[in-house]
Amino acid sequence: MCDIIWCKKCNTVNYLDPYCFWNWEGKVNCAECGEVYYIHMIQGHMYKGPEPRPGEKPDIHPLYADKPYDGYTNYPPGVEGKTRPYNCTPRHIYLGRADQRKFSIRNRPMRAWPQPPSAGIAGSQGFYWDIKKLSPEVWEEYMEKIKKGEVRDW
Amino acid sequence: MADPREVRLEDLPGPKSREELEDMKAPYEEYCRKLFDVGNEFVKPMALEGVRWLSCTMYIFTPHAVANLGELGAEVIKIEFPRVADPMRHTSPFNECYFYPLHDTRPKSGTGIGVLNANVNEYYISLDYHRKEAQEVLYKLVKMSDGLTECYRPGTFDRWKQSYRYLQEINPRFIYVWGGGFGYGPKAFGGSYDILGQAHAGLASITGFHEDFGGHPVKHSNWCIDWYSGTQITIAILAALYWRRKTGLGTMIEFSQVQAATRCCGYTVPLYGRFGIVRQRWGNWDTQLCVHGIIICGKSDYPDEKNPQLRNEARYVMVSAFNDPDFKELCSVIKRNDLYEKYKTHKERVRAEAQVEIYRELEKWAADKSRSEVVRILTEAGLLAAPVKNDKEVYESEHFRQRGTVRWMDDPMLGDVIAQSTYSTGLFSETPRRKFWDFRPVGADNIKIYHELLGYPISTIQEWYEKGII
Repeated sequence: MCDIIWCKKCNTVNYLDPYCFWNWEGKVNCAECGEVYYIHMIQGHMYKGPEPRPGEKPDIHPLYADKPYDGYTNYPPGVEGKTRPYNCTPRHIYLGRADQRKFSIRNRPMRAWPQPPSAGIAGSQGFYWDIKKLSPEVWEEYMEKIKKGEVRDW
Repeated sequence: MADPREVRLEDLPGPKSREELEDMKAPYEEYCRKLFDVGNEFVKPMALEGVRWLSCTMYIFTPHAVANLGELGAEVIKIEFPRVADPMRHTSPFNECYFYPLHDTRPKSGTGIGVLNANVNEYYISLDYHRKEAQEVLYKLVKMSDGLTECYRPGTFDRWKQSYRYLQEINPRFIYVWGGGFGYGPKAFGGSYDILGQAHAGLASITGFHEDFGGHPVKHSNWCIDWYSGTQITIAILAALYWRRKTGLGTMIEFSQVQAATRCCGYTVPLYGRFGIVRQRWGNWDTQLCVHGIIICGKSDYPDEKNPQLRNEARYVMVSAFNDPDFKELCSVIKRNDLYEKYKTHKERVRAEAQVEIYRELEKWAADKSRSEVVRILTEAGLLAAPVKNDKEVYESEHFRQRGTVRWMDDPMLGDVIAQSTYSTGLFSETPRRKFWDFRPVGADNIKIYHELLGYPISTIQEWYEKGII
């Protein structure tokens, strides 16, 4: 878990989820009183801040907040204007795209890209990859590679 | 008559010259090549054919225990939870490198590359066996199987009425394996991870360099205690099968992973028991032998490569020269005969202070040389030296290729894939291990097992599917 912002004005603990805040710099609002804090977080630890920045606009809301001195009354994720909804996904910069390849390092075909649904009765799935029938474009590419002499044993 | 105290080369058995060595070697080499016939394993019988095993396992540790059986010819049925499946399918390096497909309910998400080699040659069915409706199905499978391996928290299967004491009543010959973190005892509900095994058993504390040398306790990058403990379970299963052959009775095997890892620690615990000494880490050197360690050279073997793993890392050499003549030769090669004069006996040079000095001098000597130069110079001097290889070099290794350790296979589902795990476990002349396929989609064999083996009508199977039982 990341460090938190404990708002001294209203004694609210604003929780910062690692999905978003693990390495992050910007302004976050307090869910209760709306006070804006500047933070710079590195690997989940507060490197700078929280410094109050009254009057400025927050970049983002915290995920969740509660008041420990007030019987843990809380703002669950997704309270409009207070907290952010929880999408269970990292920030966009961490959502890398997998490198999908069709051929191994020796240029023979491998099945490494999303497949169309193909299950039969009760989820019983065909597992034999008849490449010529199921992936004709890969088969053609493979034939080209053979012609060019790019297909190797090792 | 020759002096009997003198050892003469001509009196010893074995080759007397390099030519003779080659002459003597050839026929045995040929014999071995013919006997093991690497690459042609599939025409030979399988040792465990006729054994049927159920696998309610997850991740690497317990699945690998069963994969060993599958590779040796057992018919293994892997039972996964419907839709969710083995979580290892969703665990891949840095969340990339997927194999497809996984299941129709998740066509976009594939199976992570991390699952490879852990569930080889198995049939894949889905069953939510903790539901009442599924119990009869599981019991039917138990009746016609030899054993089951599971990895849930201790007592979970007992709560679901499918632990050894229940299954034994259905099938007294049944071999039941529980594999997990701690087993019964003070931490009965502790889960299991490879890193936990390495840490809890004291293995990580003696791995890596001491803090004085800038080191920390180190875990292995790969989950080696998972693979290791899985293999230990397989040994237990084979013993249980042998026991059953003699007595006709089943066995329960309760296998704690953290316990298994203590076996890798060698003399560590007895050392403490005898002297109260807590063993320290000694990194790439050795506490029993010197010189017998890994040194760093100044230059990489691939200075122009883009990949830093090659450009910067291909600099390590394993060197072994611990007996007196070898050490003398090593000192002469690095032009430090004074070191030999200083540490003439092994007892002297294996001491910590001596090792610090010797390895420092070795690395000084290697500072202006590349890895391959160091290996060449030492090998030519008759010493044991080998580069610390990376994956690329393992893949390119002629030794592994000739023995079939690393080989390509055409997986029926995945296409071109390298198989190395199955063929890394020694060669068998009569009943070699082999890999038919690596894994299949979730529930791929539902019809084969439920309909063809157990005889349930298709309509019932369809109904279970709709209810989420399978």
